[in-house]
Amino acid sequence: MEFSNYLSITDILVTNERIPCKFLHDLPKMGFLDPSAADDDLKAGTNAEIPIWLAESLYTRRPPLVNVELPKTYKDSYREILNADACTVDLHKLGQHFYELGCYVAKHDIKGEVGSTLINTLRQRFRMLLSASVATDSISAMQPLSASERLQAAAAARTERNLASWLQRGDCPLTTANMVANHRKRKRAEMEMF
Amino acid sequence: MDPYEIEFIGENRIISIIPNFTYDKIYLICGEFGPFRAGLPMNVPLWLALMLKQKQKCRIVPPDWMDMDALENIKEEEKRSRFFTKMPNEHYMVEAKLILGAASEDVPNASEIKTVIKDIWDIRMSKLRTSMDALMKSGGGYGRLDHLTMMEINSVKPLLPAAMDSLLRIQMKSKKTTPANLNVSSFSQSGGSSQNI
Repeated sequence: MEFSNYLSITDILVTNERIPCKFLHDLPKMGFLDPSAADDDLKAGTNAEIPIWLAESLYTRRPPLVNVELPKTYKDSYREILNADACTVDLHKLGQHFYELGCYVAKHDIKGEVGSTLINTLRQRFRMLLSASVATDSISAMQPLSASERLQAAAAARTERNLASWLQRGDCPLTTANMVANHRKRKRAEMEMF
Repeated sequence: MDPYEIEFIGENRIISIIPNFTYDKIYLICGEFGPFRAGLPMNVPLWLALMLKQKQKCRIVPPDWMDMDALENIKEEEKRSRFFTKMPNEHYMVEAKLILGAASEDVPNASEIKTVIKDIWDIRMSKLRTSMDALMKSGGGYGRLDHLTMMEINSVKPLLPAAMDSLLRIQMKSKKTTPANLNVSSFSQSGGSSQNI
């Protein structure tokens, strides 16, 4: 789960996610942020959904221009489901980047319960990753996993496959090591550049 | 890491052979071995032993632990204990697979031994999986890897560290930004309750 990195695609996608915000001040000429507004100006007290990157910068201003609210998937009702049994939830449908988005949302949660819900969810759903890595029907096992969980499960499945093939094979065929193969390609790429 | 890479590391272990030819000392990167005297037992690395065996130049002396009674004891112990027991050999699986694969006629009761070792491996692997799950559920911050062999550690490698990693990241993120309300499991607390994995 590589996030909070300037070049991370996941992070860019996550920060583009829209979250509900309440504007605390009148903002002239910013009416376009609220698609339902008829005016050019944005009134104080308007509720609108804006991307996280915008919400973050508006929130960190002194005084803050917006008040960030929790998206519905992180609210009490959903949190109760997740805390009861996280394994029944299809995180892929609920939000592909559930954990990453949750980390951004967690700091705006006054009660601080989103963070513990995230950790709880991760702990409970580890069993799903384990079973997805050995499942024969990998497509249906992978289906309810979020994007980062899918990556982890796929990596685990790869190890599992390698181990199984090692155990079954009688002898070891000699092949080029990955490192060596990559090294040669890199050399050729370098030669072509100059 | 690929299992074959671990096999390569395991192939450096020294085992006993009885050569059927006579030759001077040989000088290898990993040391000098020999001189070879026909009929006299001597120690060589596993890979060399296998190579000589394939050319029918030697007989492999099975390691002490590759014995029916000893392995049955280990299996019982492994079944009884909640934790992992100490294996007779850091690369028991690699050694067993290579020796039994190439020189099964040199080992008495080869097929039974193969089954017992496979049983031990299966018991340990299922124990490893259940304790991994228990570790994550119980909220432990670290796991002890006592008596796990390299091949077994490798089998959990991308999954468990990645999960612990994302756990730590979420904990750091939600802790850093909300210093006022500490979460249920702060990191020092969860470190205390360790699981034996």
